[in-house]
Amino acid sequence: MSQKNTTQADFDSTFKKYRTGMQIILEGAKADTGQTPKEVIWTKNKAKLYHYEPMVEKRFTVPILIIYALINRPYVLDLMPGNSFVEYMVKHGFDVFMLDWGTPGDEDKKLSFEDYVLDYIPRAVKKVLRAAHADETSLLGYCMGGTMTAMYAALFPDKPLKNLVLLTAPIDFTPDDMGMFGLMTNPKYFNPDHVVEAFGNIPGDFIDTGNRMLKPVTNYVGTYITMWDRIMQGKSMDTWLAMNKWVNDGVPFAGEAFRQWIKEFYQQNKLVKGEVILRGRRIDLSNIRCPILSVAGSKDHICSLPQAQAIKRVVSSKEVDFHVVDAGHVGLMTGSGAKKDVWPTILHWLESRSK
Amino acid sequence: MPKEENSKVSGDPLELWEQWYETTSKAWSQSVDGSNKAYVDPFAFYRTWAKIVENAQGQMQEQLKAGSFGIMEPKEAWKRWFETTTDIWEKAIGGDLDPLGLTTQWLEMMEDARARILAGANIPADPFTFMKQWYDATNETWATLIGDIIGTERFMESASQFLESYASFYRTFRRANEEFFSNLQLPTRSDIARVAELVIAVEDKVEQIDDAIEDFEDNYTKAVPGNLDERLVHVEKKLDALSASLQELTTADDLEKRLDRVESKLDKLLVALEKIEAKEPQRNSKPATPNSSRAQESKRESSKNQALPAETESVSRRTK
Repeated sequence: MSQKNTTQADFDSTFKKYRTGMQIILEGAKADTGQTPKEVIWTKNKAKLYHYEPMVEKRFTVPILIIYALINRPYVLDLMPGNSFVEYMVKHGFDVFMLDWGTPGDEDKKLSFEDYVLDYIPRAVKKVLRAAHADETSLLGYCMGGTMTAMYAALFPDKPLKNLVLLTAPIDFTPDDMGMFGLMTNPKYFNPDHVVEAFGNIPGDFIDTGNRMLKPVTNYVGTYITMWDRIMQGKSMDTWLAMNKWVNDGVPFAGEAFRQWIKEFYQQNKLVKGEVILRGRRIDLSNIRCPILSVAGSKDHICSLPQAQAIKRVVSSKEVDFHVVDAGHVGLMTGSGAKKDVWPTILHWLESRSK
Repeated sequence: MPKEENSKVSGDPLELWEQWYETTSKAWSQSVDGSNKAYVDPFAFYRTWAKIVENAQGQMQEQLKAGSFGIMEPKEAWKRWFETTTDIWEKAIGGDLDPLGLTTQWLEMMEDARARILAGANIPADPFTFMKQWYDATNETWATLIGDIIGTERFMESASQFLESYASFYRTFRRANEEFFSNLQLPTRSDIARVAELVIAVEDKVEQIDDAIEDFEDNYTKAVPGNLDERLVHVEKKLDALSASLQELTTADDLEKRLDRVESKLDKLLVALEKIEAKEPQRNSKPATPNSSRAQESKRESSKNQALPAETESVSRRTK
């Protein structure tokens, strides 16, 4: 009788596990992300500026403004309680702000880097200074957000910019250093004009497929093998669900910005040559003089090491700290190593420069 | 005239689908066989493969019916499965349908995986465990294989042609839809986007005003000579002084009454003095010299003047 009950229980348990897995596959991952308490202090079109509520007494007078990429949701930095970079910094007494670009609609297809770098970021910085009652701010840019932050820093190198933190931020787009991306964006095979003319804004899935194709086996199969493995072993699914939700929650790329991104950055590598011109203003990265911390992943296939490393040779800052982590593009800030290595590195670097 | 008609975008979605299918089929077939010959059905390979699988399935069912399979050990079952599927793929190659060499590579990988899995002591009975073992054994080979395929110029050319054709189809389809809905006098996505653009433009103007006000606030504070806070402190001090004066005024009212009383007393004294003076000449019965009368007057004046400061003060306080 006992054996029969055990067999039945085993069967039920296995069946339940398969049902859970199938439910995730069919319905998509569901998770409560971005839970650190925050307040929207400014909006412009679809963009929102969040101010995270302090959890401890403010220890640093210089606030941090986080600027994320245009093509993904920024909540990857505030994934879930206990696994959130934002929460970590707030708990250590930093005044943290984040610029969420929002989801562009058809009406935003003409938005370009001119708008983002010359209108949105400067306004957001002003709002941060007012809200934090500060004269200076640190900027933290992640991925494409890092490139945009560097562009802003080159155009506005003086106050209020105090420190610059770049996370997996591509600066040099030399095709040989970009691996598969170099081939995918080669003008011989890819004309962004045709895609922009067809779609207006570039669908999130399109960008996502491009990124996934860099490691198709890992991204299309490995992810789900990990999922089944965790389910079968009865391990917690929270982080997997949150990450999977984020991966599948791509944002469309505003058409004009996409055209610029591919042509001027990937195909012509204008940034590092100082040839990017926004509304008549040339972006010269050598104008940047503030202290810089750049973090890159040795396994990153979206922003390769040489792409990020270029920051060291193009800026005029006396202090450029380049930190390499044994991680990929996203795992760098969310993986198990993030809490032990990357977050403390950023914290300690900023601590001494934020008073 | 017919030319003009042809150049117009077709409004029939089905027709568009057909056009797109033909275009992409041609593109793919050209990229696969590397020529510009008449296009072949790009799905022929999969159709052949499906037929072979169907045949193999039929053969296995017949064998099962005949009892030749019997009760198999899992290891044996896996072996049979490998052999059957390998056979299918080999037949597929034989049909000259593998111009990219994908199937050959697939076969090599299968062989490798078979060797690895069958070398293990335990053959998994659970589908997931098998899947996991299969993945662990083959993912590196797969990743290299796919990486090698994707990383070739030939693949990129095919992908590029597909993308171009898809983008072209999408654009045409969208335009056709726009035209269709416009003819029906219905708003399209573009119309709604145009309205949204206007809203954003208005928001932008409000934003500029907000920006200007903030700048004004910041700059005004900076432009005022001296610190505004300090100046406010001065104003506050002056207000305090005024308030104190007002309070003093209340005290002054009391003083005034008291001074009035003092004055009236002084008046009485003065009257008394005048009476005494009036009696004095009668006693002395001496006529008053002009000088002495002048001296008396000056005396009176001086006594009056003694009372005057208080009066003046009270008046001045009242003015305050």
